[in-house]
Amino acid sequence: MTADNSSVNSLGAPNPGNPTKPDPDLPLAGMRIIDFTVVFAGPYGTMQLADWGAEIIRVESTTHFASTTRGMLARPALATVQAQTNMGMGMPDSEPGERPWNRSAVFNAHGRNKLSMTVNLRTEEGQEALERLVAVSDALVENNLPQSMERQGITWERLSEINPKLIMIRMPAFGLDGPYKSYRSWGNHMEAISGHPLIRTYPDLSPEYAPAGVPSDAASGIGATLAFLMGKRYLKRTGKGLLIEAPTAENFVPLLGDFVMDYSMNGRVWTQMGNNHFYLAPHNVYRTQGEDQWVTIACRNEEQWQALCERMRHPELVNDPRFKDNESRFENRAELDVIISAWTAEKHASWIMEQLQLVGVPSGAVINERDATEDRHLEHRGFFTRVTHPEAGTHKALMTPFKSMNNPGVGPRRHSPRLGEDNEYIYKSVLGYSDEEYAEFDKKGHIGMDYDPSIP
Amino acid sequence: MTTPGTPIMPLDDVRIIDLTHMTAGPFGTRILGDYGGDVIKIERPETGDPTRSMPPFYKDVPGLERSGLFMFLNTNKRSVTLDLKSERGREIVKELVKGAQIVVESFSPGTMEALGLGYEDLKKINPKLVMTSVSNYGQDGPYRDYIGIELNLYAMGGSMISSGDADNEPLKTAGRMVSYHAGYAAALASALGLFQVEFRDADGDYMDVSVFETAMHSIDMRLGRLMGYQYTGHLGTRPGRAVAVGGGVHPCSDGYFLMTGGPRFIPNIIRMIGMEELLETPEWGTAEGRAEPDRIDEFLAYIVPWTLERSKEEVRAACEEFAVLGGPLNTIEDLINNPQFMARNYFQEIDHPTTGPIKYPGYHHKLHREGAEMPKRRRAPLLGEHTGEVLTELGLSAEDIAGLRADGVV
Repeated sequence: MTADNSSVNSLGAPNPGNPTKPDPDLPLAGMRIIDFTVVFAGPYGTMQLADWGAEIIRVESTTHFASTTRGMLARPALATVQAQTNMGMGMPDSEPGERPWNRSAVFNAHGRNKLSMTVNLRTEEGQEALERLVAVSDALVENNLPQSMERQGITWERLSEINPKLIMIRMPAFGLDGPYKSYRSWGNHMEAISGHPLIRTYPDLSPEYAPAGVPSDAASGIGATLAFLMGKRYLKRTGKGLLIEAPTAENFVPLLGDFVMDYSMNGRVWTQMGNNHFYLAPHNVYRTQGEDQWVTIACRNEEQWQALCERMRHPELVNDPRFKDNESRFENRAELDVIISAWTAEKHASWIMEQLQLVGVPSGAVINERDATEDRHLEHRGFFTRVTHPEAGTHKALMTPFKSMNNPGVGPRRHSPRLGEDNEYIYKSVLGYSDEEYAEFDKKGHIGMDYDPSIP
Repeated sequence: MTTPGTPIMPLDDVRIIDLTHMTAGPFGTRILGDYGGDVIKIERPETGDPTRSMPPFYKDVPGLERSGLFMFLNTNKRSVTLDLKSERGREIVKELVKGAQIVVESFSPGTMEALGLGYEDLKKINPKLVMTSVSNYGQDGPYRDYIGIELNLYAMGGSMISSGDADNEPLKTAGRMVSYHAGYAAALASALGLFQVEFRDADGDYMDVSVFETAMHSIDMRLGRLMGYQYTGHLGTRPGRAVAVGGGVHPCSDGYFLMTGGPRFIPNIIRMIGMEELLETPEWGTAEGRAEPDRIDEFLAYIVPWTLERSKEEVRAACEEFAVLGGPLNTIEDLINNPQFMARNYFQEIDHPTTGPIKYPGYHHKLHREGAEMPKRRRAPLLGEHTGEVLTELGLSAEDIAGLRADGVV
């Protein structure tokens, strides 16, 4: 379905066109997707759909603030913003600004090319607007606690009746049924239940030091995008819409497939591996010159091990009985790590990486955000572009995560939508409400670019 | 591959020629197979995909048909052995490509071109072909020929610098997660190419997938951190053990439990541990009071004795009741026996001549097709199991195939 940009208002003037100006040649141009996603896993999925040309309509509300989507709080205090240690939640100049919800780093990174509308779904007219939207859309994507969707009347039964060709992608943490259906969870809790942090954490420290990074979210997002394409193909072949359930936990466990298989086959339970490989040594991260600078070094075979010894100017290690083969090195890896650390300590991480890669040893600098935004390889590959956001300024943003030869240079076309920024386009051009009806929605509090003052 | 009357899967009329090996590429083609694609896996004669020789092995005994890694990564695929160094081997690939919609490959950049099987070569014989290359650093650029393994790809692409504890070294993610993520992206890239061809009548397309870039794009929400650094000038750091009041990993009677704290969530945690009276005090009764840094250590003294008296599951059930965000630090054994995953029959038993029926991770997604359960997966193929079958489909005679075998081409 194509966005009806040629519609006219009650005075005969044209209604506004899609403010993100989708390129009609992009692969997903003409697709319209309703976006009820929150936090990161879901939004990362609709980000891919938006980048490749679909019209993504984020359905938001001025009376409900979904924590961690547009920041932790709608109106955080200056001190709270300044004390933020997770930079994904950072704000420009560490200031909340007039509308903090338009200034969250992670939202402004994944929201590009999407549209935002506000509506209160607890009202009859709000539900009617939703029904109109469902009728003219190709898909709906959401990643919420199942019952919170159902409470808003968003169920497969209802929506597929309105639009039998709809693709609905639901990404609950654990599933639409089962004992954990109502168990509220973020990615890190889901990963804990799925076994990740206990495998990942330090060998020599209490699991209380387990890391809380969340690799699962990006995989959930990629999966949601794939699910949309699969749903469309199913529709094309059968004429029927489809509900695709994509629980983030079930999507994530295959990423731990090695461990599931070793348990199934051998009853083995891996825990607290840290940077250890299953069987290779050396295989670790080593401190280098500078503040919090590190480099990884690993050897997969004797050739690489010999090259490493040569490059460290320790050729005698090759014949050292403690390190004579991989098995010995693995057994004596603590001693080996001391020797390698002594070599890396006074050198630059990137120098070590380049020197070792030159002689065929797998090595990588642990690159921080500054290194990443200045990386020469990414620069060469055209990985970054610049985007200007009206309430956050101009910054580097990412192009797509993979490249298509037919579609060079796909990336941000517009900044992440400010709350309610595209209401007029959506209500009038997409949903077909008249100027008078739109004014009525406004009067009843649906339309807005500010959260209700009662929201903290 | 569909028999009439069987409810369709989205890709069950699509053929994928799979020239991937090791971990990233096969993870991606495995997902295309999950969605019904006919994945024809080309393997080197005699030794096959290197993962066949990688642990874990069934009963820890090595063997080409004993690797759990290979079995996991190659369900729903057919195996054809083919020597790509031979002219006839390459001709057979081209014949296969004529009848395929997608080719996925994961050789070092430049290898396919050197074999005469680059995108420019293959699109001449199939203009609608979608070809996806998965490589460590992409098809060009200064790092193109760097050696990539999970560890250094995560160090560079992922957010390793923010992973772990402030006073200790950065940690990788478990297993082969970064490679698998890139494979997932390769499945998406392939499907996107197919979508263009079928829905927009476009020509075929070439997709360049780099493990480094798919990780940078956003394992651990890295795109948010990259923006956050530009916004604030602050580099990401590894958080200390307890960074928010009530939050952190707490010891239980039978393990550990991860809980999310902070001024917003702490009232629920306080109610959960039965200390409501705290909320009447000036220190705990207001958001400002709860945000004082001193509260973090103070609260550990309240919550740890409470969690220590309870099992992980008791703490989890309490979290559910009091709307507290948390989860036990499960082992893989806990996971496989978890009531939620059991209730949904998530782990699938797949039979294999070596192992008999054993449990595998289930589907990423569940398609709610009318009146149809998700299909059962087929086990990973034995090396060259389908060589004869696939070559026969190409129209080769038994004699031709015998000749190819005698010459070591297949």
